[in-house]
Amino acid sequence: MSFLGYVRSDGSVGTRNHVLVIPQGIISKSICDFVTGTKTILTVDHGSGRTASDRETIARILIGLGSNPNVASVIVHAASPGVGYPELHAERLGDGIAKSGKRVEVLDPAKEGGTYGAIVKGIQVARQMVYEASTLRREKVGDEHLCLGVKCGYSDTTSGIAGNPAVGYLYDKIVAAGGTALFGETTEIIGAEQVLAKRAATREVARAILDAVLVQETRAKATGLDIRTVNPVPSNIKGGISSLEEKSLGAIHKAGTAPIQGVLKYAERPTGKGLYFVDNWMGHLSIFAGYVAAGANMVLFQLGGGGVAGRTLLEGSPSVVAPFLWCTANPKTQAAAADSIDFYSGTVIEGSETPEEAGERLYRTVIDIASGTLSRSETLNYSEPIDMNLQEPRF
Amino acid sequence: MPAKRALIMHPYDNVATVVEEIRAGDEVAIPVVGTTLILRALEAIPFGFKIALQEIPKGDIIRKYGEIIGRAGTAIAKGALVHIHNLEGTRARGDLERRGEA
Repeated sequence: MSFLGYVRSDGSVGTRNHVLVIPQGIISKSICDFVTGTKTILTVDHGSGRTASDRETIARILIGLGSNPNVASVIVHAASPGVGYPELHAERLGDGIAKSGKRVEVLDPAKEGGTYGAIVKGIQVARQMVYEASTLRREKVGDEHLCLGVKCGYSDTTSGIAGNPAVGYLYDKIVAAGGTALFGETTEIIGAEQVLAKRAATREVARAILDAVLVQETRAKATGLDIRTVNPVPSNIKGGISSLEEKSLGAIHKAGTAPIQGVLKYAERPTGKGLYFVDNWMGHLSIFAGYVAAGANMVLFQLGGGGVAGRTLLEGSPSVVAPFLWCTANPKTQAAAADSIDFYSGTVIEGSETPEEAGERLYRTVIDIASGTLSRSETLNYSEPIDMNLQEPRF
Repeated sequence: MPAKRALIMHPYDNVATVVEEIRAGDEVAIPVVGTTLILRALEAIPFGFKIALQEIPKGDIIRKYGEIIGRAGTAIAKGALVHIHNLEGTRARGDLERRGEA
């Protein structure tokens, strides 16, 4: 099967065609307000007071977002408070992104007559870039060019019995076609890690999965808390999930059944195709930006929502340049927020579809959206800030 | 009245997930590898929650998806609701670790 995408000079294929302006700040915001077809990001952290390891994570996010196949060209400005650190120099970020073959322009306010000058120059460059991007045409390409990222959230028992299995079917199909699929949420594989380790492509990968769980479970135990006061979260418990193990064993269904090729850090790019586990945290403000920085050209949020009453508008999570899809198997969630949801698999619970039939319908939805149909959250002009998954204390 | 529906995820499981709102006394039908298990709900079980398929003594393993999801914190009767009041998760329990029980 195939979709219509933007073929980039490095051979990767975009499902979108954005001009990206990074890092966040008034220069990026001003350029994007002025020039149609541009995107910027909103992050809480610039890297100030962060350790080298966390600064490297920020650099991976920025370079990764800029290098994503959904991006046609990139402007990097040198006015972020973090650029004083070597890892976050605008030139370094720009060089990292340019390896993808994209046009990159670095704006330095010190050379452009200050902030105002950098904004004016940026508007001029961005207009050219958007015009150039608009001359590109979508081409028919194979599914091996899809790279997906998934998270399940507000999980309830509909997630484990129908929603995640439908996503799992999609993941198996994309991996079988030679594509790439990312899943993660280390806390939410505690209790299911042996199942995943058996599916590792090599002994080293199995070891890495078990090690990631050991580190996270040791951290959890060090708090002295009953994990059930933290995770499963209240909406999980209200939705019928009784323990972390039950949540994990339902959660892993979204990863399908393919062999696991490797364990990646947050925002780390996979070296090959296939299914990868990402050692990340579940937070929706963090996880999708990480997948997209790793190269995902589409991301999915599989929503339970049994414990979330009254939410009739679902606004999407920050995925910056990749289309973001809402999926649910909960009939109450679907009824409450039908115009926000891209895919419904409650049919499996109602008995009108098998998980395979629902998964096939999800696959066709993904192909349509990859080919240019908007996801529901893309029809909103709203994004929450990215909360990058940084690990170390600030000083 | 027709039996209410519940789903079992794996033949080894001792709980099933109900996919209709269930009241005390309702008959519940669970398809299990070619046959149908029928039992009576002892109490109300909300949509998406779990029902015990057999008597589960205190401390015994509770299985869903064919895997361990916890232990029975109290003795659980066949047909009872299984949730946080009678199912104890065993993983990442810092509280047990601190008390020297893990």
